[in-house]
Amino acid sequence: MSEASASSATTSATVLEQADAERKQARRESWRLLRRRPGFIIGMVIVVFWLVCAILEKRITPYDPFTYTTKAKLAPSADHWFGTDKIGRDIFSRVLAGARDVLVVAPPAAVLGVSLGTFVGMTMGYFRGRVDLVLSRIVEAFLALPVVLVGLLVLSLAGTSSVLAAITFDSRKVLVIYVVALLFTPIVARTVRAAVIAERDLDYVTSARLRGESATFIMTREVLPNIAAPIVVELTVRIGYAIFTVSTLSFLGVGVQRPSPDWGLAISEGRDVLQAGIWWPVTFPALAIATLVIGVNLVADSIQAVYER
Amino acid sequence: MLRYILKRVALSLITLWLLVTIVFLMVSLLPSDIARNILGNTAPEASVIAFREEFGLTDPLLQQYGRLMKSLVTFDFGQSWSTKRPVWGMISAPLLRSTKLAALALILTTPISIAAGLIAAKYRDTRIDRAIVLTGLATSSIPEFVTGALLAVVFGVQLGWFESVATFPPGTSLIGQLDYLLLPASAMAIVYFGYIARMMRSGTIRALESDYTRTATMKGLTGGQVMWRHALRNSLAPTITVVSVQIGYLFGGIVGVELVYNYPGLSRVILDAVKDLDLPVLQVAVIIVGAIYMITTLLADLVIAWLNPRARLELGQQ
Repeated sequence: MSEASASSATTSATVLEQADAERKQARRESWRLLRRRPGFIIGMVIVVFWLVCAILEKRITPYDPFTYTTKAKLAPSADHWFGTDKIGRDIFSRVLAGARDVLVVAPPAAVLGVSLGTFVGMTMGYFRGRVDLVLSRIVEAFLALPVVLVGLLVLSLAGTSSVLAAITFDSRKVLVIYVVALLFTPIVARTVRAAVIAERDLDYVTSARLRGESATFIMTREVLPNIAAPIVVELTVRIGYAIFTVSTLSFLGVGVQRPSPDWGLAISEGRDVLQAGIWWPVTFPALAIATLVIGVNLVADSIQAVYER
Repeated sequence: MLRYILKRVALSLITLWLLVTIVFLMVSLLPSDIARNILGNTAPEASVIAFREEFGLTDPLLQQYGRLMKSLVTFDFGQSWSTKRPVWGMISAPLLRSTKLAALALILTTPISIAAGLIAAKYRDTRIDRAIVLTGLATSSIPEFVTGALLAVVFGVQLGWFESVATFPPGTSLIGQLDYLLLPASAMAIVYFGYIARMMRSGTIRALESDYTRTATMKGLTGGQVMWRHALRNSLAPTITVVSVQIGYLFGGIVGVELVYNYPGLSRVILDAVKDLDLPVLQVAVIIVGAIYMITTLLADLVIAWLNPRARLELGQQ
């Protein structure tokens, strides 16, 4: 109990300040290590490139991604770098603009899923006992559910619901965000629960409890900052999976709808002309998805390596 | 061991029951007028009411839940809304075809991934290791349908080596079917390579750093002997777990690949059901795939417990 007696000498406010300073120091250190990893730099370059495309969208595309022309199914050329699709839209423009569709859906879904998962995981890990037992079983059952199939089930049904239309502001994208976030919640909860259990019996938690702090205070001000690292890692990994899931759902036709230039949707639209040897409407959106997920995962992997060193 | 098996099976049954309940709740709490949507806006009110009556949509929730549980326990699985055929009859043949594709993917990916993981661990932190790890990271982060589409473009359409449509004519021999199934199976194999190789690598590294490996080296065994007799056996446990988890994911991810190649598997039934809002089919498909995942992870746990008594102990203490 030496820590408890030391903290009684200083006020708890200065202890928190010191802890803040230490964390800032640690963050600077991690950032320095991150910048030295080639995987991180390459990943960031890819991610930033697609972010810029998503933000600027029509301002940088050579043609309008939505207007169709009579010049259908043109092979890649100097005029149309990636060719044109079956209704004559410029594929290069559509691929650049398509970054917006996936990037407005996947990262918010990951953030929402990680937030919910952190809440559930902390509840399980901190209170243990019966709450934990019941929630753990439910999490286990959720983990057995195939994410894409449940996405198909919920999204196809949800399209018919008026209540859901109200809370999603009538937007398909918001609905996809909710569904993906919900499917990620139990996965995140399991990770956070493990992190909380490793922390909850440490001296600082005990001394906070002895000081008479409330459970909410201990969880948000004491435990949460100390499990920030695994949560950040989980978030970056989840963003990768969210892109994976969101583009699969679009491909299967229950995600973002036409005439959006979304990449998954574009692959599904280009599928029927592929047999005729028209390979470009499928290839370029596919490469776009591939580069974005690889970029995100390079960043996630570097962050994980730095935090777990 | 028997006590362990009973306990583990009981846990799985509870989880399975929860899974069914979650799916049921998701479906019934989504507040939608499903009958109206299936029949369309122009359908007369009387036929909408008749539809609701016919499939018991106006019954209390508890009664609907009881009906679902009963149909699952008796392996009857209910009746499709759109085709009026028994759901199991619609799902069983496509499920078998999907299983064939998944099995081929697993046969392709498992040995290669395990070998790659072993090699990466053996040459840890060299260029070979980094190449394997990076390849695994890249391939496992790309969605199956994207890999599938790219393979179809390159090897199916451009090079013409394999069929890029996986619907083989009836009566094709097993070897002849390979021509059609190799590309979609490879697409899945490539995605799962990363997961398995990574797990094998870290398991082997842990085994190589352990005391028993040091003892084995000290008593004069060669590097190869240490690897085969000691490290490999111990690094297999986490790999078995990850392979079993992948079997579950294979069935989840297979839908996209099947659609790319027009393969008449589970995806066709599921996507048709999505289009027609054929709830009983969708519900049963999700539950079956979830059950497959749970059975494979259960089997993996039992194999691991059989290989390693320490794992048995852990569950006993829970």
